[in-house]
Amino acid sequence: MDTELLKGTLSLLILSLLSRKAMYGYEIAATVHRDTDGAFQWREGSLYPALHKLEQAGLIAGEWEEKETGRKRRYYRLTATGRAALAEKTAAWAELCRAVNRVLEVSNGPA
Amino acid sequence: MDPLERYLDQVCRSIGGPRPLRDHVRQELREHLHDAAARHRAAGLSEEAAVAQALAEFGRPEQVRSELEATHGHRAMAVVIDTALRWKESTMRAKWLWATGAHLGLAVVIALEALFLTFLVMFIVPKFKKLMADGIIDPAVLDEQGAMWMPHFLGNLAAVTGNYTTHLVLGAAVLWGLFEWRVKSENKSLMRLTVMGGAAVKLLAVIVIATGSMVVSFCLAMPAMGPMARPFAAEQVATIDTSVAAVEPAVAKQDWTAATEQADRASAALARLTVGPALASLTGREPPTADELRTQTRSAQDHLRAVRQAVAEKDAGRATAALAEFRTAFAPVREAASRSGK
Repeated sequence: MDTELLKGTLSLLILSLLSRKAMYGYEIAATVHRDTDGAFQWREGSLYPALHKLEQAGLIAGEWEEKETGRKRRYYRLTATGRAALAEKTAAWAELCRAVNRVLEVSNGPA
Repeated sequence: MDPLERYLDQVCRSIGGPRPLRDHVRQELREHLHDAAARHRAAGLSEEAAVAQALAEFGRPEQVRSELEATHGHRAMAVVIDTALRWKESTMRAKWLWATGAHLGLAVVIALEALFLTFLVMFIVPKFKKLMADGIIDPAVLDEQGAMWMPHFLGNLAAVTGNYTTHLVLGAAVLWGLFEWRVKSENKSLMRLTVMGGAAVKLLAVIVIATGSMVVSFCLAMPAMGPMARPFAAEQVATIDTSVAAVEPAVAKQDWTAATEQADRASAALARLTVGPALASLTGREPPTADELRTQTRSAQDHLRAVRQAVAEKDAGRATAALAEFRTAFAPVREAASRSGK
């Protein structure tokens, strides 16, 4: 999939995934990979700047947790502001999809 | 260093923000990479290949660093330190190259200084001594200004280099040989550079003092040339006056031979007056200046040329008119000569 398309949707994907439960970075990347059947070919390193930006904006909050194995993981959860932002972004995304689909349908004919 | 940690170094070293934040970012990325490598190991890759695969999937370090810097800012000092470290690494690898360059550079400097010093001692100092012997540079003036040590320094320099050059060169060669033979220190290269640098500085100091001594002595003594030139200039002005005064009656009597002879005498004296410091010696604190006198003299030369031309053509009227113009042009020079003689 075009990585440029992914860039614009990464924050929406992150907020959406975190609306399910708190997750750490690798878990988010693995879930995106699993849920999209590997359709997103992205640099995993891009995930963390996006996560940190969302955290700076107060849409998500991160917290370190130490596992029994001794590994430390930073779990991110959605904040109330983030939940509202997710609703807005989801609505905007749906509107965008509808608009794009209408254009495609007119151009190509109904499927 | 572990490739994973080296990768994290490259990604995290210039990220801005406080240290705890930077540590957290690094820790978070490290955990991700460990998880990813573990997944690849579980899929059957070797330890090394699993880490390499995890790093490749994470992205090129400069790309990730750039994105993190866009989020957390850029640490300027880190960039400076990073650049310095890379410079240090590259220069340490080329240590022998730097050392060789420094040795060669200093050797060239010392050789050039020695050549210049030889040139000074062989060609310039003798000329300076002759100027002193001829009285052009007056020792009394230097003594009065407390600068007699300068010609003494030049004399001693010439004596030492003339009599002991071989000893000095041989002594230096022996000391150098002993140093190379006996000294086994790991800092031998630095010691050699220090000695060469010291020699270069000392030679430079000798050159500066020697050239300075000549320049300063010359500048101090040259004003004495003014009084020496003044009687000469006054004598030329008197000759011009006498000759020009003799031209007019000769023209009136149409004695063209006498007129030509006197005009030529005046012209020769005028030419001598324009050479060297003669004209400048006629100036004082008040006008005219040396430049103004030179302008007047050039004008007088033009009119005298016209006089000689008219005399050659036996044209009494033109000669008389040109003489009058000459006198007007030459008047400031004559006045300056009479004033300076008082």
